[in-house]
Amino acid sequence: MVSKRSVCSGCSLLCDDIIIKTDGLYIEEVIGACLKGKERFDQITAKNRILNPLIRKNSELKKVTLEESIEKAISIIKKSSKPLLYGFSTTSCEAQLAGIELARLINGFIDSNSTICQGKVLKVSKETGMTLTSISEIINKADLLILWGANAAESIPRLLNKVLFSRGKFRMTGREIKTLIVIDPVKTASFGVMGVRDIALQIEPGKDIDLIRVLKEECCIADSVPNNGVAGIDKDDLKRLLLHLTGAENGVIITGQGILSSQSSLNVIKELLELVQLINVKQKKGRISIMMLGGHYNMVGFDHVALSICGKNHSLQFLNNQLIESKETIVSKIENEDFDCSIIVGTDPISHLPWQLSKKLMAKPLILIDNKQSATSYVADIIIPSAITGIESGGLAYRLDHIPIELKKIIKPPNDILSDEEILTKIIYGFKEGR
Amino acid sequence: MELYKFLPKTNCKKCGKPTCMAFALDLLQGKVKIDDCSPLLEPKYKKNYDALKDLIGSEEGQEKELKIDVDTELCDGCGICVTICPVNARYCPPTLSGKAPDYPPENHQLFQVKGGKCELLAIEHCRRIEAEGRERECRVCETYCPREAIKIDFV
Repeated sequence: MVSKRSVCSGCSLLCDDIIIKTDGLYIEEVIGACLKGKERFDQITAKNRILNPLIRKNSELKKVTLEESIEKAISIIKKSSKPLLYGFSTTSCEAQLAGIELARLINGFIDSNSTICQGKVLKVSKETGMTLTSISEIINKADLLILWGANAAESIPRLLNKVLFSRGKFRMTGREIKTLIVIDPVKTASFGVMGVRDIALQIEPGKDIDLIRVLKEECCIADSVPNNGVAGIDKDDLKRLLLHLTGAENGVIITGQGILSSQSSLNVIKELLELVQLINVKQKKGRISIMMLGGHYNMVGFDHVALSICGKNHSLQFLNNQLIESKETIVSKIENEDFDCSIIVGTDPISHLPWQLSKKLMAKPLILIDNKQSATSYVADIIIPSAITGIESGGLAYRLDHIPIELKKIIKPPNDILSDEEILTKIIYGFKEGR
Repeated sequence: MELYKFLPKTNCKKCGKPTCMAFALDLLQGKVKIDDCSPLLEPKYKKNYDALKDLIGSEEGQEKELKIDVDTELCDGCGICVTICPVNARYCPPTLSGKAPDYPPENHQLFQVKGGKCELLAIEHCRRIEAEGRERECRVCETYCPREAIKIDFV
């Protein structure tokens, strides 16, 4: 029995202080990880783990060998002219690289989960610019934390523990000097960690943009706060919020799904980024930065890999083995039925996407590379099992503050299952050979 | 605080405690009796004496034990209690930067997250038992638990 520190790949925080006890085959104990992380380690022996490659024959899934399943997948890809690749946010950067290479070879359209998530912020930031920060900077220096439409206490359980309650190095105390402001229409669990000095702002749903516009105006012209308040927030609270925003030495705005899922999300993000810049120009002693709260552990990774290769962070369309300009996203592609087969890697679009889209996705041949059963695995035509990245295979992953962290292989996968990267490389090799 | 309201608040030290507040806390835990406060027996505090008798009731004099109850159904192992606990902060340096403490745990460590759930280790080192004065009123783990899974009580 060996106990060692390891990186947890349960969520995008990628905690590097988890202690695991292992005998080389199984993981006996996980110490320090939250419930999400523990479930991730439990997945090795979970009931819903996929251990054998499966092919659908006469509407029934049959066990086959790995070679057969890969051959069948290649034959489907060869027949198709408009393949769709989706997922990649729970794989290593190496697998994402292989995925983009495959998309280029087969003239496909590749997209990751970030297109319906935090990728929007990165996309907007190309026009406006963005101030980023890192977790260790928040731990040691931050004095203001704003959770904007984010329920960090439940989505990423250990985030508040790390950034809000830790003491840090350059401050005398921890929780006492860090002010927490929560802006959310719903009273979530994140409201439960509030102290007396913190501000809880229950905003009216869908009115974030009004609040941001008022704050922007107030930054330019003093005393322009409306007497009746805005978006359900009264005048005094608005003034306190502004005082904190302009007076913080090192403030962080954590943006969550609440901002992104509104109908005019791109406008909201643009206004928010402009507000942050306006404050940073005006403020002399400190700055405000943005941190994006994504869920999947390597969602930021795909953005970085795609940016470094293609100069575009998501929704990459290839034609004649070259990237072409296209305004389509995964949603519009499926909606217009502009595809003839799909390769899903490590995600579950059938349950994530609306039913109208899932129905269209199900109608075409679906190849799934994943390690667990999901709604997608029930409708897939070919299922290729993969090793769990971060436990059974290593690789690089990007943390939510855009810092690369190396995941290590801890135990051997069962049945000699291959990693995502190896499976994709095999498909690429097979495709090149048969061409 | 409820009990403190009915005490003379003179800090006369006749009971052997430094302040009336300290006496009230010990009274709550059952370490002292109401009769130990001699000024209370005087006629002018008769009303307060009766009120205290009503509040404490039949449990007077029975020593109560500190109990920290962690509801494992509600707990999601966020580890805020591990980081925020002042005893952990003193004896486990990694918790200062929000990290998980070393394993096996230190003797004084109060909380530990194991298998995704919070575990109580050494309750005898809790501030509510070991510390003096105002520090005895420590309730940080209960206050800041986002799931409200921790309850502090005297049974």
